[in-house]
Amino acid sequence: MNIDITTLLYCILGLPVLFSIIAALNIAGKNLLHWLNRIAATAVGAAVIQLVCIFDPDVPYSSEYLYLDALSMWMVIIISTLYFAFAWTSKAYLDRDTNARYGYLRRFGYLEGRFYALSHMFVLIMLMVVLVNNLGLMWVTIEATTLVSALLVAFKFTRTSLEATWKYVMVCTVGICLALLGTVIVYHLQLTDIGPEKPLDWVYLVQNRELISPVMAKFAFCFLFVGYGTKIGLAPMHAWLPDAHSEAPALTSGLLSGSLCICAIYVLMRNIVILLPAIGIDFISGLCLGFGLLTIAAAVPFVLVQRDVKRMLAYSSMENFGLMVAGLGIFIPMAVEATLLHMFNHALVKYSLFYVAGTIMEEYSTKNMMRIHGMMVQVPKTALFWLLGIVGILGMPPIGIFFSKFYIIYGFFQAEHPWMGVLALVLLAGMLMGILYHIMRMLGGKPTRKAASELIGKVDAAVIFGLLLFSAVVSAQISELPVFNHLLCNAAKIVLGGAAL
Amino acid sequence: MDYLVILLVFLVFLQTRIMDLKHAVYCLAAQSGAVALSCLVIGLASGEVIHGIVPAVLTLLVKVIFIPSAVLRIIGQLKDERESVSDINTNASTVAAALFLVLGYAIVNRILPDAAGKDVIAASILMIMTGLSLMVLRKRAIMQIVGLITLENGIYLLGLLLTEGLPLVVELGVFLDVLIAVVVLVILTSRMRLSFMTTDTSIMKKLKG
Repeated sequence: MNIDITTLLYCILGLPVLFSIIAALNIAGKNLLHWLNRIAATAVGAAVIQLVCIFDPDVPYSSEYLYLDALSMWMVIIISTLYFAFAWTSKAYLDRDTNARYGYLRRFGYLEGRFYALSHMFVLIMLMVVLVNNLGLMWVTIEATTLVSALLVAFKFTRTSLEATWKYVMVCTVGICLALLGTVIVYHLQLTDIGPEKPLDWVYLVQNRELISPVMAKFAFCFLFVGYGTKIGLAPMHAWLPDAHSEAPALTSGLLSGSLCICAIYVLMRNIVILLPAIGIDFISGLCLGFGLLTIAAAVPFVLVQRDVKRMLAYSSMENFGLMVAGLGIFIPMAVEATLLHMFNHALVKYSLFYVAGTIMEEYSTKNMMRIHGMMVQVPKTALFWLLGIVGILGMPPIGIFFSKFYIIYGFFQAEHPWMGVLALVLLAGMLMGILYHIMRMLGGKPTRKAASELIGKVDAAVIFGLLLFSAVVSAQISELPVFNHLLCNAAKIVLGGAAL
Repeated sequence: MDYLVILLVFLVFLQTRIMDLKHAVYCLAAQSGAVALSCLVIGLASGEVIHGIVPAVLTLLVKVIFIPSAVLRIIGQLKDERESVSDINTNASTVAAALFLVLGYAIVNRILPDAAGKDVIAASILMIMTGLSLMVLRKRAIMQIVGLITLENGIYLLGLLLTEGLPLVVELGVFLDVLIAVVVLVILTSRMRLSFMTTDTSIMKKLKG
């Protein structure tokens, strides 16, 4: 099989569009819709595998609007893995909502099509974020993800979800508008210092980045950092994150937490690469480390007092984003590699956790963790996956996050920020205690409710197990997997500025 | 151009005083019209006709015609059409706007002492900051949308002056995003009206901690 990269990219970007049109038109029956959804995602997954096989990380691909290098390839792998998982878990999730007795969707048959159309568009736009070659288009697509996902967060239009969505759209749009201001200033810098050819083209800007003058560059970076930081969910601007993640349908929460926020980190990385020589490493690294650790610190107390199961996961996501940004701020190859690996692991594990949390909410028909006891006895399968996922997200050995967290923390000490490393460790320990306390209460004890039946089926169990296993295998065996290893090293090199041009 | 800047500053100050939702939207439309005109002026002055006309026409279509009419339609369905704040709040936001104007000139003189259109940059900083303050201080959903569009207009104007317009593809994308954003916000507002019987966002405070 010899398909060139262009065809594959069009395939990856085209299939979700095709499917969303079919889903939005509501011409397919329910079963057909579920299968088409799976086929679309699986085909995209196959195309990505083929792409990984033929793509040489040392030779980036570029066309008029698209650009693919090791960093974007890494992001495409993360997003398409989640896409695949989404497609294969969505039927089980939606079936609960169409339940004849209490399901929300039972009266609105057409809403399923709308949910699929929006979700696939959401994934498509995230893929576009990482595939476009232009800083302006990256901004446009990031803003588009906010808008599409807003409709998904508010999908059930309950009072709380409306509130969450309003906050989400308002806070993120203001933040993203500031990022637009930053992008405008970068373009201004390009016009005055470099020249008018290839406006905002990332590769062109990187080639000429030494020419950018420092004063305005600092301004631009501050706006970009605050803007995209809002979208990542960094500490003072994080107000929307727990609300949106907890009120959205579980599958959407998984996608939001797993892939959307790291898309914002990706765009921030691209901008940092350009502005690095003009601003100097100290300023950027200081901002990243400070805000990263502040985010972790802001998340810990809320986890300790949390009652809502999905909100707890949302704060745990914040902790992980804080760690990623701090890891980026360390700016040594090992830490950046660990950050990229952490993005991958966090996406996979957090998606499965959100899915399981959604299942638990259905099984016990409550979100309140204080009312859930004895899961081990009543719903052993769910309890097993819940425990595995939590053990993973807290950074304990069998799951991949252990390795990435370990290397990020190790990076703190290597890069001579030992006190920050100690602080991060203390905060992570607080997180671990808070979450484990809640989880153990949920898993152990005597069941207080009679009717709680197992809702995890075969397909979704296989998918979740696959996600956890994939994360564990890739992280533990990264040196044995030449394809991934090469990709990861090159991606880290790009982030540190040695772009493969 | 000077007259346009004066008009813009006047409209922004007016915006901080208007409490009636309908009038606020008319004021916003007028403000966007002024932005479209300055877009045309700057575009024609730079010599590239297409790059001057296309964004101006798009601004006219999107921000002067489409967005206000969509928001007005929603207002038509509402019963209580006034922002519920006291005079103190209005005066505070007007004074804040005045301070923002001074701040704008201070920033311009510090950073770009020899730029061509200092006044326009100061006006756009005024718009950005006032838009932000409107979003924070006002409680009605519609007023927050107005604040958001004011903020967007300010950034757009600043971009126009600093760079003579973003690349055309990006510009189209930005317009599309603004368009979709308003559609999403209008959907949310109408849903809010159905669920809460009001569009006062201050009653939505169930999600905490």
